[in-house]
Amino acid sequence: MSTDQHAVPDEAELATMSRDEKATAGLAADHVELDEYGPVAVPGSPADKRNERRVATWFLLSGLLGLLFAVAFIWWPNEYVPAYQDGQLAYALYTPIIGATMGGAILFFGIGVVQLARKIFAHEVAIQQRHIGMSAEFDRQTLAAQVLDTVDKSGLKRRGMIKGSLALAGGALGLVAAVPILGALIKNPWAERADSPLWVTPWAPLADGTKVRLTQIDGTPVRPEDLAAGSMATVFPGVPGGAKASDAAVMLFRVRSDQVIRIRDGQQGFQFGDYYAYSKICTHVGCPVSLYEQQTGRVLCPCHQSQFNLYEGMFPVFGPATRPLPQLPIELDDEGYFVAARDFIEAVGPGFWENGKFPAWYSEPKEATG
Amino acid sequence: MRRITGTLALLLGLTALGFTYAAFTASAKESTVATSTSVDAAQVERGQQLYQTSCITCHGANLQGVLDRGPSLVGVGQAAAYFQLATGRMPAVENQAQMPRKEPYFTPTQIDDLAAYIQANGGGPEIPAAGLRDDSQVAMGGELFRLNCASCHNFTGQGGALSQGKYAPSLDPSTDEQIWGAMLSGPENMPKFGDGQLTAQEKAAIVAFIQNNKATIEPGGLPLGGFGPAPEGLIAFLVGMGAIVAATLWMGSRA
Repeated sequence: MSTDQHAVPDEAELATMSRDEKATAGLAADHVELDEYGPVAVPGSPADKRNERRVATWFLLSGLLGLLFAVAFIWWPNEYVPAYQDGQLAYALYTPIIGATMGGAILFFGIGVVQLARKIFAHEVAIQQRHIGMSAEFDRQTLAAQVLDTVDKSGLKRRGMIKGSLALAGGALGLVAAVPILGALIKNPWAERADSPLWVTPWAPLADGTKVRLTQIDGTPVRPEDLAAGSMATVFPGVPGGAKASDAAVMLFRVRSDQVIRIRDGQQGFQFGDYYAYSKICTHVGCPVSLYEQQTGRVLCPCHQSQFNLYEGMFPVFGPATRPLPQLPIELDDEGYFVAARDFIEAVGPGFWENGKFPAWYSEPKEATG
Repeated sequence: MRRITGTLALLLGLTALGFTYAAFTASAKESTVATSTSVDAAQVERGQQLYQTSCITCHGANLQGVLDRGPSLVGVGQAAAYFQLATGRMPAVENQAQMPRKEPYFTPTQIDDLAAYIQANGGGPEIPAAGLRDDSQVAMGGELFRLNCASCHNFTGQGGALSQGKYAPSLDPSTDEQIWGAMLSGPENMPKFGDGQLTAQEKAAIVAFIQNNKATIEPGGLPLGGFGPAPEGLIAFLVGMGAIVAATLWMGSRA
């Protein structure tokens, strides 16, 4: 705005100008001229009053719905009511009511504001002259010179100590922002070596050598006669917290006695008769695989459509999973309940860098299948 | 420009109307089939006659099954026979990836006769006459449903896809007896859930959960198939964005 300025009134002229004249002068300084200007309707006329009522109605509706939202949110019955009971409908209406009242309050307020601008505020058509191109060459060069001059004159260039400490302070402040988010991820999964939770699940025999029972989710131990041929049960280790352990869920299958099943190398005898136990945790990214097709022997993962074939030793036959589901060695205890003979011989769930490389754990390549 | 935006707004409005209409005209059919546990020789005799006219081609003269046509029925029990016949899956029209549910071919009495005949030859699991549903145990039923059933039948019992054309069917048309029959017999690729694995009380709780679920009014409005966040997000994006764009066009055409 350094060139083609409008004539700026001096102090004496300003003192004589009315507010309206000052507003017009301000617009003119910005190259804006009002082409049309005036009220939408004649003040006090029936049309004007109608406009006023209309706008007020929208705001009243908005306020009313806002109050209704608050009332409904606090006092409307929001506790779950099962089917076949009287309060069902009232409960089911809770969500729609708070949604409709809040949405309506916001919508009507918006409509009210638009109507206010259209019906009450003065009608105007303003024309603004367009500015073409970038700032004037003079403005651009002087601004750049000022910025660079400030940096030079600050003297920071020759004060290495301040520059260094300033960079350190800035970096450390960035660290302060990042550490609360990333710091919790710093853990050493190998601190416990062979007892690392990456390898050991709650299926490992207890310290006194007691083998862990296969139990249903409510803690009931499982016997062979509980499962009919062609059935699959999800079982958990019979230890405190076993049903909640994220790496311990196991599928216990009973296949038909004439079904041929291929056993992977090194896993002979892991089954008990027609009963086979496999980890339920997908080796792709760890979803629970349990869509069991009892005629084809396939077990499907719902997340990424991996398929494992029980009849091929849980070998992956489709989808992104690349390793078979680990097999849990099972046997019966003295009372005839299923127990885990020992822990899995490989890590359950998705792969990680060191998977299959821990020397104390096993001696043969785990990818070998039979 | 004004005409184009107006047409677009009209098109979006009509599409929205179509979806609304489709949502409100979806119908649910109820079929009630009676069961009877009284077994007598005459009933078995009637069942045998029906078997010999309608089932013998695929399941064999002595229920031993026919290779590549139908499995043996010895020992499948009344539960399997009742489930297959009452849901119309048997008699089958043709061998395919999976037998679809259809209107039952036999009357309820005929189904009981046939089931009695199957039960009399080799025994097997039977659907109990009473205590099929325990409405006081909805919460336990929900827990057991999510652990044992939801992986295939979906959290709201809407069913889902399996491998190679097979699928877990929707449970919406299922009666208490049919759900019991399916759990006891493990039809097609569904695993069996014998009484040792899920006790009668647990089965009754699961049935209560399924039926309660169907009778529950949707608190969120239209369930969109009950499949969860994927269709809900899709519809929210398409319909919501469409509405916003349409409103913007409308406002622009009036400015």
